[in-house]
Amino acid sequence: MTIERDNVPPSVRYGEYKMPGGKLVVADIHVHGGVIEVAQISGDFFLEPDHALGAINRALRGLPVAADEAELAARVRAALGPEVAMYGLSPEAVAVAVRRALDAGAGA
Amino acid sequence: MSRSGWGDHAWRLIHTAPQAPALHMALDEVLVEEVAAGRRAPTLRIWEWAGPAVVIGRFQSLRNEVDRERAAAHGIEVVRRISGGGAMFIEPGNTITYSICAPLSLVEGLSFQESYAQMDAWVIEALRELGIEAWYQPLNDIVSASGKIAGAAQARRGKAVLHHVTMAYDIDAAKMLEVLRIGREKLSDKGTQSAAKRVDPLRSQTGLSREAIIARMVDTFRRRHGLHEDALRADELARAEALAASKFAAAAWTHDVA
Repeated sequence: MTIERDNVPPSVRYGEYKMPGGKLVVADIHVHGGVIEVAQISGDFFLEPDHALGAINRALRGLPVAADEAELAARVRAALGPEVAMYGLSPEAVAVAVRRALDAGAGA
Repeated sequence: MSRSGWGDHAWRLIHTAPQAPALHMALDEVLVEEVAAGRRAPTLRIWEWAGPAVVIGRFQSLRNEVDRERAAAHGIEVVRRISGGGAMFIEPGNTITYSICAPLSLVEGLSFQESYAQMDAWVIEALRELGIEAWYQPLNDIVSASGKIAGAAQARRGKAVLHHVTMAYDIDAAKMLEVLRIGREKLSDKGTQSAAKRVDPLRSQTGLSREAIIARMVDTFRRRHGLHEDALRADELARAEALAASKFAAAAWTHDVA
């Protein structure tokens, strides 16, 4: 994971969401210049195949900090092929965790 | 592909001397691949631990889940497994851990939720025979009225499924809370009282030794599904040892979700 730390250090934001009937989804978000620069989704969910997590993280990159839950969920969903299976996780749950991180603001 | 039954398979039992945490991670990966390739019959593997470990799930953040300084101070190895799910705190003799490596046909057509219950139906029966009324609590826990007994996780590889479970025999809860960053909300979710010094459902509810419980569980599996003693093949062990060193003991994998 390479994060550019030139003049302004990127802000790190943390959000979590326990999906009802599902698992805990955590979002660690680096914001730079009003967009998501790096996103790391983690948690005790199940996801097959496992490299789909990278696809989720990449799908969130570059989205504006103002993106709403629906847009975040749509971007995550669009990045996942039909072979991807989730248990205790959903694009909507990822979106809630990311939105909470973004709303928490820097240094939260 | 239609669903197979447990009795359609010639089940093997592997229960060896204690092995290092990274080797256990590697054996899961190697054996599920062997079953997927048709080179190994479906296998129940009972784990014996050579040392204490924190085993984090495939998608958990290392820094969010583990206090690595405290873990190191206690000599606890931190490893990441290939399945999702939550962190486990292991000390030799304090848990009962097993893996089932089975053809995917065994859970064909089942939802994830159904497949977890299906893979552990024999354990629910074994617990009942030990005097513990237990049941599956979705998504992946085995519980009794007194709280959580075990947590399960699955990973799929090709045409095989790995299903592994860690059961609490007699866990040092204070030490667990030192090394795992578990919030109070999560604790109540696990049915664990924060004041408890031990999480010991299997010990306290059966009054039996860990070894006796394992023997009874194996008996139940054998009676239900058939089970033949087996050992790791030399090539399986060699591959697992190489994989333990190159992957599971290496920072790149453990830190993969930082």
